[in-house]
Amino acid sequence: MKILLIEDEESLAKDVIQYLSEKQYLCEIAKDFDSASEKILNYEYDCILLDLMLPGGSGLDLLQLLKNEGKQEGVIIISAKNSLEDKVKGLNLGADDYLAKPFHQAELAARIESLIRRSHFDSQNVKTFENLKIDFLAKKVQVDEIEVVLTKKEYDLLLFFIGNRNRVLSKSALAEHLSGDFADMFDSHDFVYAHVKNLKRKLKDAGCSEMIKTIYGTGYKWEA
Amino acid sequence: MTKLLHKPLKAFAIYSLVILLVSIPVYFLVIDYIWISELDENNWLTLQHTRENLQNKSYSEEELKEISSIWGDLHPGVSLTKLNEKPSFQDSVFEAVRPNVFDVDDGEDRFRGLISYIELNGNYYRISVETNVEESDETVFAIAVVTFLFFIVLVGGFMVLNRAIASKTWKPFYLTLERLKDFNLSKDQSINLPESDILEFQEMNHSLRSLLNNNVDVYRLQKSFTENASHELQTPIALLKSKMDLLFQEKGLSPETLSLLEDIQAPLSRLSRINKNLLVLAKVENFQLSEKEELDVYGFIQTSQILFEDYLKEKNILLEVKVENSIEIVSNSFLLETLIYNLFSNAIRHSPKDSSIQIVLKKDLLSFSNSGEKELDSQHLFERFSTSSAEKISSGLGLSIVKEIVKQNNWEIHYKFLKSFHVFELRFPNSKFLPNPS
Repeated sequence: MKILLIEDEESLAKDVIQYLSEKQYLCEIAKDFDSASEKILNYEYDCILLDLMLPGGSGLDLLQLLKNEGKQEGVIIISAKNSLEDKVKGLNLGADDYLAKPFHQAELAARIESLIRRSHFDSQNVKTFENLKIDFLAKKVQVDEIEVVLTKKEYDLLLFFIGNRNRVLSKSALAEHLSGDFADMFDSHDFVYAHVKNLKRKLKDAGCSEMIKTIYGTGYKWEA
Repeated sequence: MTKLLHKPLKAFAIYSLVILLVSIPVYFLVIDYIWISELDENNWLTLQHTRENLQNKSYSEEELKEISSIWGDLHPGVSLTKLNEKPSFQDSVFEAVRPNVFDVDDGEDRFRGLISYIELNGNYYRISVETNVEESDETVFAIAVVTFLFFIVLVGGFMVLNRAIASKTWKPFYLTLERLKDFNLSKDQSINLPESDILEFQEMNHSLRSLLNNNVDVYRLQKSFTENASHELQTPIALLKSKMDLLFQEKGLSPETLSLLEDIQAPLSRLSRINKNLLVLAKVENFQLSEKEELDVYGFIQTSQILFEDYLKEKNILLEVKVENSIEIVSNSFLLETLIYNLFSNAIRHSPKDSSIQIVLKKDLLSFSNSGEKELDSQHLFERFSTSSAEKISSGLGLSIVKEIVKQNNWEIHYKFLKSFHVFELRFPNSKFLPNPS
């Protein structure tokens, strides 16, 4: 999987690459408008992470360029300018997702995974971990061919976990994933525990081995 | 409050009243003085004339007696009286009020008289000349009436003049006043003050213009400073957050380190929230969200209910939503969403465990109530960073954002403390009511 990261903030770009490194993604960085447009025109990627404010031009123009060239790459906008207008403009220009800075790396990783899954859905619409089978298209979870009924939030959490395999997920990252932008309006996110606990219980009851590990005082980790 | 132009009018009216009141006795004294000196002169002339003629004609004593009696009958103004002894020959002036049958008003008349003495045929006579004088009460009354009439004319004239002056001379002043009233610093507009050919107004407008321009500049600078500062802070915050995520992935972290990392999360997310709210506030203040559409308030309540479900459950808060009717408003959806989420999350955050929250939609009112211990300081409640509690997560901006949104949409918001409940009541004037959806 090849990912192009268009981001002028070097340190942030490095973090993203480091976080994604274990997932067999091949990351390239473009730091400004010109190098980004050159890379877009000359290579193919599975996913493009696009910052809107770039030296030398706007990320929206790059979206236009992709559209004009008939390129099919999935694009996730990552912007510090959390403006509704840019979001709408970007999505209208063919971007697939919009993530406002600051974000948790886990959130980005999960979105990339989901985007790639969607763009390759013929080959990737079902994923199995041991006896656990997830059908992304039908949004169904099976253990040993028996369906496990999950709530929407539990299913969301499950996808978030498998999008961040072998990564420690903090409570705040989980809360932000579930509540979106509004998570930081609250000081307590203990409800996350309840949802994770339910998910773990349901999977365990169905006979799934315990893949969600509790990391003391920090959060959880999907080990598979 | 008195209007500017009424103030001098009142002063002028009072001043002219005083002057006119003072003028009444003065007029009277002057007129009386002239009147009396004229009469005295007239009396004196009559006397001289009479005296000369009496001496020249050398009437006999009998004739004099007859003249005296004829005068008494026909012309009571002049009388000749024979004296038995020699008088002092000193002229004297007198004034007398006598009954007069011809006077229909009060039956009295005032007279001015002159008494003199004459020696005719060895006898001494007293000649007195009397002339009717206008009575003083009549004079005073006449003057008072005339003065009063003039006063009315004067004040009436003042009023008419005042109005004429107001509509002409003061027009630029009132125009300026109107423009100033309409002026709103937070609305990005330039002020257009009227031109005037009056020096003072021109100077005033000039000073106002430079004052306002300075303020607008300062305001713009301050606004753009907040916006730029929070934009600049976005990147370091994003970096901190991503570094934290990476740090969590490190293997072999001790429980102490992990708990330290966890402790950093809370202030970091608060920092992130404050910054985000500052940006939202700047955006709202800058009218960057002017796209409007028809919005159903109840729909937003329902969405927020789903969003905040977990947080309500976590604190075991009972939520009661009473909807009599929904409200349709025309506004920006992001603004309405922010407004409702802020008020709702506020209510949840400030509610104790196992309490209840009420959301009421009724006519053009939307209210959020949550239980609380004591009344909040409603004066500073909506100010930036006026923390009313020791709560750590608060950005101190939620209610300022609410107030700014309310202000921009010409809605109203009130806080009250009722039966141990904090109530935030929103009013959407000129909104459409939708039937109860349930």
